[in-house]
Amino acid sequence: MSSAPADLEIARFAVGEVVGGTQTGRDAGTLHLSLPELAVSAAEPALAEATVDIVRPGEPVRIANVIDAVVPAVKADDPGATFPGALGPLAPAGRGRTNVLDGVRVIVSCDWSVTGNAEAVEFPPSFVDMAGPSVERAPYASTTNVVVTCRPSPDATIVEADRAVRRAGLTVARELAATTIGAKPEIEPDDIERLHVGPSSASDLPAVCTVLQVASEGPLVDTFLYGAPLGGLVPTLLDPLEVLDGALVNGTYDWPSVRNATATYQEGRLIRELLAADGKRLHFAGLIVALGYLDTADDKQRSALQTARLARLIGAEAAICTTFSSGNSHTDTMLTVRALERTGIRTCAILAETNGGLTDHVTEADCIVSTGNEDELLEPWTPERVIGAGDDAMAGERVPLSSYLGANDETGAFDLTAVTA
Amino acid sequence: MTVVHYLNQFFAGLGGEEAAGSEPIRIDGPVGPGRALAAAGLAVDVTIACGDDRFGEHEQESLETLLGWIEELDPAVLVLGPAFGSGRYGYACGVIAREAGRRGVPVVTAMTPDSPGVIAAEGVAYVVPTGSNVASMKDAVPRVAALAKRLAAAEPIGSAEEEGYVPRHRRENVRSGRTGAARAIDLLLAKLDGDVRTEVEPSADRVLPPPPVPDLATATIALVTEAGCVPQGNPDHLPTRHANVWLRYPLDGVGSMSPDAYVTVHAGFDTTFANQDPNRLVPLDAVRELEREGRIGALHDTFYTTTGVDTPVATAVKFGQEIAAELKSADVSAVILTGT
Repeated sequence: MSSAPADLEIARFAVGEVVGGTQTGRDAGTLHLSLPELAVSAAEPALAEATVDIVRPGEPVRIANVIDAVVPAVKADDPGATFPGALGPLAPAGRGRTNVLDGVRVIVSCDWSVTGNAEAVEFPPSFVDMAGPSVERAPYASTTNVVVTCRPSPDATIVEADRAVRRAGLTVARELAATTIGAKPEIEPDDIERLHVGPSSASDLPAVCTVLQVASEGPLVDTFLYGAPLGGLVPTLLDPLEVLDGALVNGTYDWPSVRNATATYQEGRLIRELLAADGKRLHFAGLIVALGYLDTADDKQRSALQTARLARLIGAEAAICTTFSSGNSHTDTMLTVRALERTGIRTCAILAETNGGLTDHVTEADCIVSTGNEDELLEPWTPERVIGAGDDAMAGERVPLSSYLGANDETGAFDLTAVTA
Repeated sequence: MTVVHYLNQFFAGLGGEEAAGSEPIRIDGPVGPGRALAAAGLAVDVTIACGDDRFGEHEQESLETLLGWIEELDPAVLVLGPAFGSGRYGYACGVIAREAGRRGVPVVTAMTPDSPGVIAAEGVAYVVPTGSNVASMKDAVPRVAALAKRLAAAEPIGSAEEEGYVPRHRRENVRSGRTGAARAIDLLLAKLDGDVRTEVEPSADRVLPPPPVPDLATATIALVTEAGCVPQGNPDHLPTRHANVWLRYPLDGVGSMSPDAYVTVHAGFDTTFANQDPNRLVPLDAVRELEREGRIGALHDTFYTTTGVDTPVATAVKFGQEIAAELKSADVSAVILTGT
């Protein structure tokens, strides 16, 4: 990073313990939460009910019907502008100061089957387990999780219910982080990240961009940029800092292990690694957001070619291509790799595997990071408590890793990989 | 802890080629290479053996007897061979290893990496690679014994690269300790320096296109689909994803896929248009027309269907082989395979 003034300051507040209480607030490292108050804050007309629970690492709890995870975050100078477009009024993300909580995540659960929506009924099981065999395989077992369980109102349309559920999760995430503001005496952050994106002075370093693949296929499988679904997107540049700061919000609820949660964008592991390497090992040339899961061969080819063109326009010599979900979208990744390589831009792709290996491959894809085999069947586990499901949520059954949120994350957030055995 | 060891007639001391027809036999304690295993720290409790020809010519029967003993003994580990470069012996070791392994017995065997036994084991067993003849016994036995002891103790076994066994073509998950993001940057910068590495290779299993059908006007054509098209009501409960079966339905006297008679139960795409006209998935209307015009010889009287969603490739390969075998025996010479 250069010595230019920071565009975005992210103040990090460590949370030691989260306890239920009569008031929501902070006392040293302990976060006190009034669960009824939070539930009221999450209320939306399209929701029949929203409840809030706290679960901790090691507790014998399974959270079922998990649709999203969110990093508690608030714009310090204008709390109303947090998650602009998706929750607050439109404002540029990625500027000013944002307070976030470390060690706590908001997990949103919603059983869509109650809506009778045909597509929702087909969603695979989606879990976060706080104990049991998945703890070694999936990322969200290691944080204290504030679970927002939503039940859509039977009168609401699927779009209304979806929007309400998303707002409920984001609201609770904002409320948790808002405990860092206005306390007397003032609470000092444990760490402040000062982030800046701009032209590089070190021109002898290789210029590396990243291609962030997202999917936006319609209600329940959408990704939102400033509150608007990205369907029909022509590949475009985003400021990496706005991605870290809540401009992108998840609304896709299929395949959990390879789904990008809202927290995936906020944590932005690859962006942070590229920013850390900027000026030292490489020049971070920018972030291109592009769609995966495109419907036709022409759409796939067009998006791949335009991504490569854009990468060239920003002077990239190399690119890291992330992937969203499995199956179909792997063809989008492969075509993008091919288009970039044919433009002279060297690539590394990040992909999950199945028991059958790679779903698709082009000869140009000679450098791939594997984020593990999503078909692994975990040993049976029976939770003592299930949150977010009316049934036993596969208790005692062998659950495939593909059902665990973030386990095979294809943005580089997690450390799972696969080896030949 | 019980250790069971399988040998062929020669290594069990029953005789050479003249004893290759020997029926399965069970002997208490170690025999032949079993003594070497014992010397390497793995005490063999029971030796089971079978003649190589006997096993090859009466596989089911021999297997039943041997597996019966294995089931009864419930070993902590089953060791087979080493079979070295012997094709028949290696094959027997591979088949027994596979079947015992599928019944939950930890299994280790040893043979040359190109032995038919490696293929027969189907990735169920750990196979320690050996040389082609008994001269490599000294090298193989300690490695087999060490692996067997760890399997018996239910210790974790590392990757094929770390442990030196023949890769089983399984991809097992491990925590690398470094995020995918950090690894991606390292790999990319190394690639820019000319050091091209990858964490996963594409499968070597490429399907080559067959030669064209010489004369369509005399050919029998079949319809196969992974679109999940089934009779209305899904009478055989085809799963909407992760299908564990394929199904066949008759086309005798059916001219077109009517939406009243057929439905698609596929969880991987929006089925609205497909269900308005199932011919979009199983193009029966068009094929019947080609049949009437004489442009194809005949349409096979059955169509084959499954749902291709979240299907492990191994399952898909099995479905393909099973359906292909049936089509082959019905003299079908070409297939219209509709995917979604």
